[in-house]
Amino acid sequence: MKRIFTKFSVLAFLCFLFTNVAFAQNVTIKGKVTDGGDNTPIPSVSIRVKGTTTGAQTDANGNYSISAAANATLVFTYIGYTTQEIPANNRTTINVALASSAQNLEQVVVVGYGTQRKLDVTGAVASVKGEDIGKQASQNAVSALQGKVAGVSIANSGTPGASPTITIRGTGTIYGNTAVLYVVDGVWYDDINFLNPADIANISILKDASAQSIYGIRAANGVVLVTTNRGKKGDPVINYNGSVGFQKVTNAVEMANATEYATAVNESYAILGQAPLFANTNLGKGTDWYDVILRDAMVTNHQLSVSGGAEKSTYNLSLGYLDQDGIVKRNNYKRYTARLSHDFQIFEPLKIGYNVTGTSSKSKDAPSSIFRALYAASPVIPVFKEDGSYGDPNDFSLGNGSNVNPQATLDFWNQTTSKYNFTGNIYAELKFLKNFTFKTSIGGDMGQEEVLGYIPVYRASASQLSTNSQLDVDRIETRNWIIENTLTFDKKWDDHSLTVLAGQTAQRRKSYTINAQTRDVPFTTDGDLYLKLGNASKSTITDLGSLATFASYFGRVNYSFKNRYLLNASIRRDGASQFFGGGNLWGNFPSVGAGWVISNEDFMKDQKIFSNLKLRGSWGKVGNANVPLNPTTRVIDQSAGLIAIIGGLPQTGANERTIVPPSLVWEKSTGTDIGLEMGFMDNRLSVEADYFSRKTEDAIFEIPVFGSLGTANSVILANQADIKNSGFELAATWSDQTESGFKYSISGNIGINNNKVLNVSSGSNPIDKGGATITSGYLSTRTVINRPIGNFFGYEVEGIYQTDAEALPFNKKAGDFKYRDLNGDGVVSPADRTFLGNPNPKYTYGINTNFAYKNFDLTIDIQGVADVDVFNANLSNRFGNENFTKDFFNNRWTGAGTSNSYPSANLAGNMNNAPNSFYIESGSYVRLRNMQLGYTLPTAITSKWKMQRLRVFANAQNAINLFGYKGFSPEVGGAPTNAGVDGNVYPLYATYNLGVNLTF
Amino acid sequence: MKKHTNLNIKSCFAAAVMASMLFTASCKKGFLDVPPQGQQPAIEFWKTQDDATKAVNSIYANLRSWNNVAFNAIAIESTGSDEAEKGSTPTDATFFNAFENFTATSQEGSVQDFWSGQYQNINLCNKVLDNIPAITMDEALKARYIAEAKFVRAYSYFRLVRAYGNVVLRLASPKDNTEYNLPQSDKATVYAQIEKDLTEAAEVLPQSYGAQDVGRATKGAAIGLHAKVALYQKKWADVLSLTNTIMGMGYDLFPDYEKLFRVENENSVESLFEVQAALVAGNPDASNSQYSQVQGVAGIMGWGFNTPSAALEAAFETDDPRKQATILFKGEETPQGDLIPTTVPNERYNQKSYVPFNTRVSGFNEGAQQNFRVLRFADILLMNAEAANELGNSTQALTSLNRVRARARGGNANILPDVTVTDQTALRNAVYKERQVELAMENDRYFDVIRQGRGLEVFGPKGWKANKNEVWPIPAKEIDQSGGLLVQNPGYAN
Repeated sequence: MKRIFTKFSVLAFLCFLFTNVAFAQNVTIKGKVTDGGDNTPIPSVSIRVKGTTTGAQTDANGNYSISAAANATLVFTYIGYTTQEIPANNRTTINVALASSAQNLEQVVVVGYGTQRKLDVTGAVASVKGEDIGKQASQNAVSALQGKVAGVSIANSGTPGASPTITIRGTGTIYGNTAVLYVVDGVWYDDINFLNPADIANISILKDASAQSIYGIRAANGVVLVTTNRGKKGDPVINYNGSVGFQKVTNAVEMANATEYATAVNESYAILGQAPLFANTNLGKGTDWYDVILRDAMVTNHQLSVSGGAEKSTYNLSLGYLDQDGIVKRNNYKRYTARLSHDFQIFEPLKIGYNVTGTSSKSKDAPSSIFRALYAASPVIPVFKEDGSYGDPNDFSLGNGSNVNPQATLDFWNQTTSKYNFTGNIYAELKFLKNFTFKTSIGGDMGQEEVLGYIPVYRASASQLSTNSQLDVDRIETRNWIIENTLTFDKKWDDHSLTVLAGQTAQRRKSYTINAQTRDVPFTTDGDLYLKLGNASKSTITDLGSLATFASYFGRVNYSFKNRYLLNASIRRDGASQFFGGGNLWGNFPSVGAGWVISNEDFMKDQKIFSNLKLRGSWGKVGNANVPLNPTTRVIDQSAGLIAIIGGLPQTGANERTIVPPSLVWEKSTGTDIGLEMGFMDNRLSVEADYFSRKTEDAIFEIPVFGSLGTANSVILANQADIKNSGFELAATWSDQTESGFKYSISGNIGINNNKVLNVSSGSNPIDKGGATITSGYLSTRTVINRPIGNFFGYEVEGIYQTDAEALPFNKKAGDFKYRDLNGDGVVSPADRTFLGNPNPKYTYGINTNFAYKNFDLTIDIQGVADVDVFNANLSNRFGNENFTKDFFNNRWTGAGTSNSYPSANLAGNMNNAPNSFYIESGSYVRLRNMQLGYTLPTAITSKWKMQRLRVFANAQNAINLFGYKGFSPEVGGAPTNAGVDGNVYPLYATYNLGVNLTF
Repeated sequence: MKKHTNLNIKSCFAAAVMASMLFTASCKKGFLDVPPQGQQPAIEFWKTQDDATKAVNSIYANLRSWNNVAFNAIAIESTGSDEAEKGSTPTDATFFNAFENFTATSQEGSVQDFWSGQYQNINLCNKVLDNIPAITMDEALKARYIAEAKFVRAYSYFRLVRAYGNVVLRLASPKDNTEYNLPQSDKATVYAQIEKDLTEAAEVLPQSYGAQDVGRATKGAAIGLHAKVALYQKKWADVLSLTNTIMGMGYDLFPDYEKLFRVENENSVESLFEVQAALVAGNPDASNSQYSQVQGVAGIMGWGFNTPSAALEAAFETDDPRKQATILFKGEETPQGDLIPTTVPNERYNQKSYVPFNTRVSGFNEGAQQNFRVLRFADILLMNAEAANELGNSTQALTSLNRVRARARGGNANILPDVTVTDQTALRNAVYKERQVELAMENDRYFDVIRQGRGLEVFGPKGWKANKNEVWPIPAKEIDQSGGLLVQNPGYAN
């Protein structure tokens, strides 16, 4: 392999010399481009005559034809493959086998404001190809990254249309938004759910601080660069991808049935010295509310694209349609996407282009509280009574915790959310003075979200009713723009290669929300849903908004010598408006990286072990401007809660009820990364290992202040803590093919991360947060020095008190948790609480495989996390007579000797619901994330049908999930200091699809 | 090639111009100077009379907040007493049990939140007292606003001092973080400050307001609260003179005891001070009082907490109409025609916070319109009776006491006969007894009994301990943050 490279470089070098002097008659050159690995034809390969603007493209069978001088050099380019330059040397047939770039160092990776050869990268940058994303049932591109990249942890939300949470190399911020920065074709976003995954050509994940620091201002949580598909010269290529399937709940939690429920409730009443609630507990199975409200849900996806181009312009148009039913009845999400990109080579040195995306989605929303309602609803309540009216919890004196009939909740819920997003950018790129490129780009993002909710007048029961109809209208608009100018100098001479980048950007981000509400709106048709049809005296309107501006300057130098010694350095200077007034408007974010390609050294020439060996190290600093706006400005609270009733009428009230820090500085994070890239056996085995350490300094978040200051929330925002994430990542890929044509690749990746708080300004005083409402009013996490962010905190359960005599000295009863008296003072008090678990996953891993044999292909992706804890707050979040899980019912304490781990049915009493080790469970899981079996019809058949390619496939996502957690899904997510507290997650579901990929 | 070169130069020039324009645009002075959106900066506030009015309004509004009238007030001011029980279903909000059986620790949420709630009032008052003096406005109005703020500050400190004993005395908002951590002041100092505020407030506040200002603190409210504060310090002469003053100010007992607590009779002739609440059409956030909701009939008009106990039911004399007016019994029909179903989880609910079922508007807290009665003339009369008796004037004591009983009688001569005992101890006990039934379920009983020195006698069977339970613990978080500057109350662990 190495020898081949050398040959290529020599050839390339020769043609470089020759092309400039070449002058000859044009001839037509034909040929076929195939994959160097499996010899399959590659369609849409771009072929250019070097030094000219002449170009062509291969057809579906990999064939091309181009007119060029007999001594011209042809340049073959295709994403995912090494670019090859081949001198024609008077040949008229040139067949080319392109080497897949996954197997070599010539692979080009997308980095901030440019691309680099993989060889030249000195930071930790991971790439995922569009086709790997497209091969998943995920409707969100980010979700499809799960398990694909070492050190990238993704928690899916499950709600149709919602975006997953992505964490790159651990949590490095506490208060601020932890969202990564997405840069799609140069435009910055907080979320990319407007993007059809099928439109993505490549995703690059910048993992280390040196790679991120060119995006200084927003890079602290990591940067994800998305490149979308663009057209290529040649005849129009029409692609259709479609799939249809269904989603089915998996790993559902079994709940107690009516008889079991009544038994347990009576037990809890007896323990509390009350007469039994149910005279007769023999109530049969009762209602299985999950069964009543959930369903198997259909999902349909169509995607059509046309791309192509003429001599001087290329285009790509893509349309997408998604129709996804939610697993909750009536819940549905539809999304329409359209994306158009166009590039023009106006004059030889000047290229301009644009791309625009329009997305429209409409969701018939599921009731926001439905999953909690399903969990809590008592199975003794019938869905409907015999007279057809709704089953009424009040008939059973169940009290507050279980006073909802979920069927009524669903039936009278009527809310739609429509989102419209229009985004794009326009650019001009000018090459001049041989080595210079100037690029200017203006991008914009206009978003509009409309929520329309209507509650009719109804009465399901005394506690579930609506006396007045109510109409709620929300409008949320976002208007963002970004202007970027970059100047690049690129020069290669002798053994040197130098790229210098200078740039400047300005951006403005604005959002505005207006909410209006009125009552007594009649409803016969949707045309009645207007605020003006409501009762004017019962209408309210309010709004809120945010505005932030940023100005930045940056520069970068990349230098390499002899392809052996690499040096990268960058600096970015950012100003952010939210720090205005605090006196710390500007922040500087430098980085430096170096690499040594050992395998290119002379002394490595004769060794046979490594086909590639590279050592790299980097250091960088990034900022996090993702903090509240204007945090140092004292403001007046004029909320509705301060409206006084005087003279019987509402009177506006306003006052100051917060304290602000005198100044606030940028939250900064400094990271180091040391990486080793190795290739063995002609790069059939490639291994990449990284050690990283990232320290967040001056993390901005709220810490508690004295209640006696009388502020609204008893907190103050300030630069409070230093946090460290450090760990190790390993990714290895083996790919090969047998002589019989069986081609396969197996990749594995694992990320190990340790999260630790190094310092907090509150000193030894802990930062207690987490849960509260869903953890029975107790705070469930504690953040202190030398421990991870948001450790679960509470009592350690030693066992269960078996007798009242044993329990009485502790104000407890038999069947209550026996908490360990850790400080040995003879009483159990809050001082006995301790650290119970860590919600930050230590290990994230994935195994991704591809197999192809003849016309069949098979992809199997496995993914998991390990060494992470979840707080099963659903169990303890009780206001009374909520239902119990079957597991709890079967194992609960019912008398001396029955259980020493599960408490009695009095789960909500006697501090049994205080955060304790019983509720902390392992959140480790492993799942069959994705499995796809495809069959490509033989060309002989498809060509008769005038198709270039037809593939059919069957796909399963989340088909098998293995975990010990007793809730619905261990994939809980949540903000730092509140992570892993499972209040009410979307049940896990599997998606099964059948689909086709069709190319004309 | 020539042509291209020209183009290159031209393009370069164009690009350079464009670039410099963009650079200039973004560096333009003020591009990064973005004011807060939709929030008035504090430096623009405190300028006009209108600002002063809004700021004073906010003080009254906060008095109906969750911490002031709902769970936390109930836990601290009612649950420990013998008149109330937790309520709702046994398994609901079991934290109340710690207040019921006196096992509450310094970590209890309500211990912290009641504390914070009172200081939230105090902060709003302090902001007014700090900032209004510099505003150019009607001087008479300015003086009244200052007096109103002093009244509410005194009321909040009174609730704090009787709940926690030695508390932090903040009389101005902190200038910077060196003033965040203040030590506690002893009870005497806190009481002295309360009396000072109330004296100063009473000098300025009007005896009454026009209809558009009903609900604001009056002279009567300040003097009446001062009387109660004096009562808690056994300053009998002060109690007597202050209550005598009130009795000469035109206040009277409302004729119908049951109707006194209905929404239509709020701010009646009997009322000295009420926390004002309303159901503001179309504005659930301004209709945020949960006082009635948390005590409302479970499942129909609220959550059913703070239910009257059997002991309270038994405390009423035979046929005392106040029993039916104070307790909503399971299965009864109210005078307003509501039938309490027999399927409700509790035997009794608080009728003084009761709002008829047909007033419920979905999307709003049940009973959002109900005012929280802080001080009424009956309390003044009973304080007058008690002080007169302590000072040996049984005649005046009996006159005031019997005036309360006469109203309760509701014209029925066969019940609630006049008290005639003149023995000081017996009469004292008669006043205590009358306070129990007259002021039942109004967040008075618990601290009243403790103030009488009868905590152990009355609450002992529930677990109340002398030299500890006179006050609740100082919240643990406050002590933690103070780095040990704050001292925990005797008998409690941090």
